Amino acid sequence: MTVATIQNLVVQYGNFTALNGFSCEIQEGCTGLLGPNGAGKTTLIKTILGFIKPTSGTATVLGYDMATAGKSIRQKVGLMPEQDCHIPGTSAVQFVAYAGELAGMPEGQAIRRAHEVLDYCGLGEARYRNVETYSTGMKQRIKLAQALVHGPKLLLLDEPTNGLDPAGREEMLDLVRSVSHGKGLSVLVSSHLLPDIERVCDRVIVVMKGQLRAQGTIKELKSLEGRPIDVELRENSPTFVTALQSKGIMVMPPKRTTYRIQMPGIPEEVAKVVYQTARETGAQVRGFVVAERSLEDAFLEAISAQ
Amino acid sequence: MASPIADLTYRNYDGPLEPAMNRWWAIAKLSIKLSIKKKGFWLWASMSAFWYVILLIVFYFNDSVTQNVGPAAQKLSLMNNLIWKDQFLNSFSESQLFLFILALLTGAGTIANDNRAKALLVYLSKPCSKLDYVIGKWMGIFIPITLVTAIPAIVFYVYCLMSYRALGFWTQDPWLIVKLCLMVLIPGITYSSITLAISSLFQQGRLAGGVFAGVYFISYFVTLAMEGFNASQQMQGQSPPDIVKNLFYCSVDGIQIGMAKVILGTNGSPKLPFPGQMGKNLIVPAPSGWIIVPIFLLICGVSVLLAWSQIRAVEVVN
Repeated sequence: MTVATIQNLVVQYGNFTALNGFSCEIQEGCTGLLGPNGAGKTTLIKTILGFIKPTSGTATVLGYDMATAGKSIRQKVGLMPEQDCHIPGTSAVQFVAYAGELAGMPEGQAIRRAHEVLDYCGLGEARYRNVETYSTGMKQRIKLAQALVHGPKLLLLDEPTNGLDPAGREEMLDLVRSVSHGKGLSVLVSSHLLPDIERVCDRVIVVMKGQLRAQGTIKELKSLEGRPIDVELRENSPTFVTALQSKGIMVMPPKRTTYRIQMPGIPEEVAKVVYQTARETGAQVRGFVVAERSLEDAFLEAISAQ
Repeated sequence: MASPIADLTYRNYDGPLEPAMNRWWAIAKLSIKLSIKKKGFWLWASMSAFWYVILLIVFYFNDSVTQNVGPAAQKLSLMNNLIWKDQFLNSFSESQLFLFILALLTGAGTIANDNRAKALLVYLSKPCSKLDYVIGKWMGIFIPITLVTAIPAIVFYVYCLMSYRALGFWTQDPWLIVKLCLMVLIPGITYSSITLAISSLFQQGRLAGGVFAGVYFISYFVTLAMEGFNASQQMQGQSPPDIVKNLFYCSVDGIQIGMAKVILGTNGSPKLPFPGQMGKNLIVPAPSGWIIVPIFLLICGVSVLLAWSQIRAVEVVN
């Protein structure tokens, strides 16, 4: 199911075009918004929330038109901004409850919910501390808590692991993974860190120079054309290669003892031929997997394409 | 580790929601809570009522003396020639400096600190509009300052009504309570509008406070200078030029005192320490309502519009 549909969105800052005819569909679940710095990721998030008026184009978020129903969209969307932000002079629980009240929750409900969300984000012990005294990791968590407090249906996370140490990053990614799966909440994670996206997201949208370069599931993006198979042998076997080639199978030069082969047909059929050939030539098969490229390769290909 | 009975799983919120019209109140409420948490707020709020306290002490001793000495003293009583509404005007004038300090405490950082903490990203990413934000912040300054102005005035009014009806408190001006209700709104409107505008221009509450104090004291100096010039002219038996009377009201204090005089319908009368001719020399006649009211509304309106224009969730460089 589609959570948001964006069509031909153009956003300009003076002469600079930040989004140039950008179109995409954000599906339910966890979606990564990938792109190098300055690609237009944050601009897209700010435009969805109505912070920036687009020059042209349309967008529908959770069934609401971005141009006419900004408030209704913001009622159902939570934003975790990239920059540190808080309400000066408040403790964590006051801040999060206040964010809930700003979203329309009655005071009592907002306080109850603030305690729940702070517990969920791992800030239960520090809830009465002034937010200004928080460490970077805690500030990231409190931003997530204030975005979650009113029970949004779509969560926009802008660089959620910015400035975190490795342990903090792991915890934040676990939190994002947890919130985005099985909670009835869709998440759009904007980041330029491929490992983060690969770890928490099911789908990705690749943005470059304000344009959509690729979108789909991570598995689709990583898959190679023709669905080649990587066959790992115990040791290199030229007779095995020759026998495969004689059967019309394309074999690429090995990487150590792994051969990438390509032939038409489903993997089960290919496996049958490979194992039969191995038996005939005395080669020992140690591995048999559908070959795929890394997300980094897929990303580099997407952003280098014109 | 969480206790085994703690349920830390995430649940969606599907409880009740307040109407969208009430968002400004959440903002105003937090501003008020943060203001009244400051000890300085209570100190300066109490100080702002000092003139009413002085009046009550003077009235108490006057009553004691006249009751003990008898009818001869009653003829000389201070109360016989008192213009009651002028006592409210004098107390209002004397509280100005303290109300300014209160505005500095409650208002100077109201938007500037939000700019520093990038809090507008929080406000405007919620279903809360720029209008809600401006109204909420404005009310967050207006409500405390108005209450601080109104409470002592109303208490003093009730005390005088109960004690001095026989001395003309009611008959001098039966509409005084209505006029007072209008008068006590003036500092709240003035300070919330001006501080909001100045605060919105800065990223630091202290800077905004410094600029606000500068504006206040520089304009206050104009009022003081005109008051002195007016008094010296009157002592020489000359009528001061109109420009002096008009410039007297060209300050943050002055415009409020001018508005209060227009609302109460009085030029004022000598304050207690300066009775007689000396006190009369210090009085500057009330300005024309047709001039001062539009100027007052214009200043407040432009200030709020300035604040409105400065508010954005993100800095967009064109």
